[in-house]
Amino acid sequence: MNAVENTCVTEDLGGYALVRVGGEVDLSWSQKVRDAILAALRGGDVGVELSRVAYIDSSGIAALVEGFQTARGKGRRFALIAASKPVLAVLQLARLDKVFVLFADVEAARAG
Amino acid sequence: MNAVPLAAAGNGERRALRFLADLSQSLALSLDLRETFPLAVSRIVDFMQAEAASLFLLDPARGVLECRLCQGPVDITGLTVAVGQGVVGRCVAENATQLVRDASADARVNARVDAETGFLTRSIVCAPLATAQGPIGALEIINRRDGSLFDADDAEVLRLIAAPAALAIGNAQLAQGLVEQQRIQRELELARRMQKSMLPKRRRGDFPIRGVNLPAHEISGDFFDFFDLPDGRLAFVIGDVSGKGLDAAFLMVRVESLLRWVGTRAPAPGAWLGEVNAQMCRFVRDGRFVCAAVGQYDRGSGTVRLASAGFPPALLHDGVHFEELAADGPPLGILAEADYGEREFTLGKQALYLFSDGATDVRTGATDRLGENGLRGLIARHAGLAPEPRLRALLGDLKRLKLVDDTTLLLLQEPRGAQAHGLLELEFPAQAAQMRGVRAALRHALDAQGIAPELRDQLVLAVDEACTNIIRHAYGGECTRKIALRLGREHERLVFELRDQAPAVDPACLKLRDLSECKPGGLGLPFIDALMDDWKILPAPDGHGNILRMRKRIPMGEHE
Repeated sequence: MNAVENTCVTEDLGGYALVRVGGEVDLSWSQKVRDAILAALRGGDVGVELSRVAYIDSSGIAALVEGFQTARGKGRRFALIAASKPVLAVLQLARLDKVFVLFADVEAARAG
Repeated sequence: MNAVPLAAAGNGERRALRFLADLSQSLALSLDLRETFPLAVSRIVDFMQAEAASLFLLDPARGVLECRLCQGPVDITGLTVAVGQGVVGRCVAENATQLVRDASADARVNARVDAETGFLTRSIVCAPLATAQGPIGALEIINRRDGSLFDADDAEVLRLIAAPAALAIGNAQLAQGLVEQQRIQRELELARRMQKSMLPKRRRGDFPIRGVNLPAHEISGDFFDFFDLPDGRLAFVIGDVSGKGLDAAFLMVRVESLLRWVGTRAPAPGAWLGEVNAQMCRFVRDGRFVCAAVGQYDRGSGTVRLASAGFPPALLHDGVHFEELAADGPPLGILAEADYGEREFTLGKQALYLFSDGATDVRTGATDRLGENGLRGLIARHAGLAPEPRLRALLGDLKRLKLVDDTTLLLLQEPRGAQAHGLLELEFPAQAAQMRGVRAALRHALDAQGIAPELRDQLVLAVDEACTNIIRHAYGGECTRKIALRLGREHERLVFELRDQAPAVDPACLKLRDLSECKPGGLGLPFIDALMDDWKILPAPDGHGNILRMRKRIPMGEHE
């Protein structure tokens, strides 16, 4: 496993916020991811891009669940994009893989 | 008599041939003589125009002929005559047909039966039931119905009739012998299973005693046993009864019970053997004896006490050197007043091997024995394996060689998982930023154990979740206090231990939430529960902090 720098960058794609997350999302990092997702949801629909996530634990999953619930409350669309294998494994374990809307890439998420 | 060509045969001979064919056919219908013979004998009586007929079978063990079936006015079923005695006895002794034309004037006739029954014997023909292995009985007919006397033709016809009868009886006896053999085989199999069921059940977890018994035949004269003593120590027994077969097996059962009965009272091993020996000397009379070793092991102090009665020397192996522990006295059951010494040592990480002489008697060539040095070589070859796979590897080697005697092995060793040195030991402050390094170290250690990446990542996740919970809940947030992680192995299980110095956690407060609810928090414990086989929280032995113990079975073969 390559050491991937922890990153969390929000891009505004014109009314659609894309939060790109990378690295190992654990207790030390998940709070930042949570804050970024909740901030993005203030603007409109949100997609969280997870292709460069090498590790995620339950605190990272909790950040995603909180984003999902907040979006529902606001009537916003919330999707996970290009989830990496480690992310999918943990989503399955938490039985959340059928709860989240998952897209293969950003274009599909914006169109969906 | 020469074969009679059918075309040339007269009326009487044709009749005889047809009767013979019918008789042979009816006797071949079933192997059960009780079904076929009564009818056959009554047909013979009719065909021969006789008043009576009887069938005698030989009991080779007693040398007598017993009437098994008769037809006629007097029932002599059960009557026995010695071989050589009377007409029937002489017929079998000489393996030749006897014709007694006039019974009143023949010395061969035993007048006793007539005297007892009131029957008047006038004329007799008796033909042997001849087989390739000699006569197995005789067929006798008495008195022509028309009052005339039997002649040589009658004797010849009866001899012919006796042939298919002998064949049918021989076949039936053969079949019965097979059935008997199968019955004995079944009972031996049953005895083998009973014996096997007497061996102690293998104990799971980090139990330090393991035994195996390989009988050379159905029944074994070897045994082993282990059991808990009331004071918490473990007692173990291994033994080998002299001789083989059923009587050795019965003695084994008796001695094994006696060893256990005396052993549960936890006497010192020397006294233990002394008492069993004294009792055994009272009931063993036929020169049999039992070689045995008994011992007690205190897991807390690591102390082993061992005594041996003529058992092959025990081997103590530290992974490099062997120490030989010779017998402390003669085999059990020979000298009632025998004294048995004992020895005491600390097991530590060493392995104690006890083996019956079957293990060293294993053949490595036509006549070469494996010997004690050979066995040491095998042990040394597998020394790198954990106890369980090591015992299996040893057994595999012995089986590949030629087993000539019952072989039993007993291994006493603390499993590595229970030893101080783990596969990974880490101590780090309760801070989230530490976790990345902890996960990397754990991945590395699991890779070294040959754990597949998918399983490895799951185990890393579970440990990470546990650490996160300790930081957040046990310590109530990040701090400089420590978390200690230890990864160990118990046989086929990985054991993860996380120790903190936080106030005692009440396990009742740890609630597993339902994963099917979609909620942001509380996922850590369900993850641990789903990914590990089992987990529990224990108070640390020194009273400071908690230990979370998680276990996961890993597929054997993948490791080692």
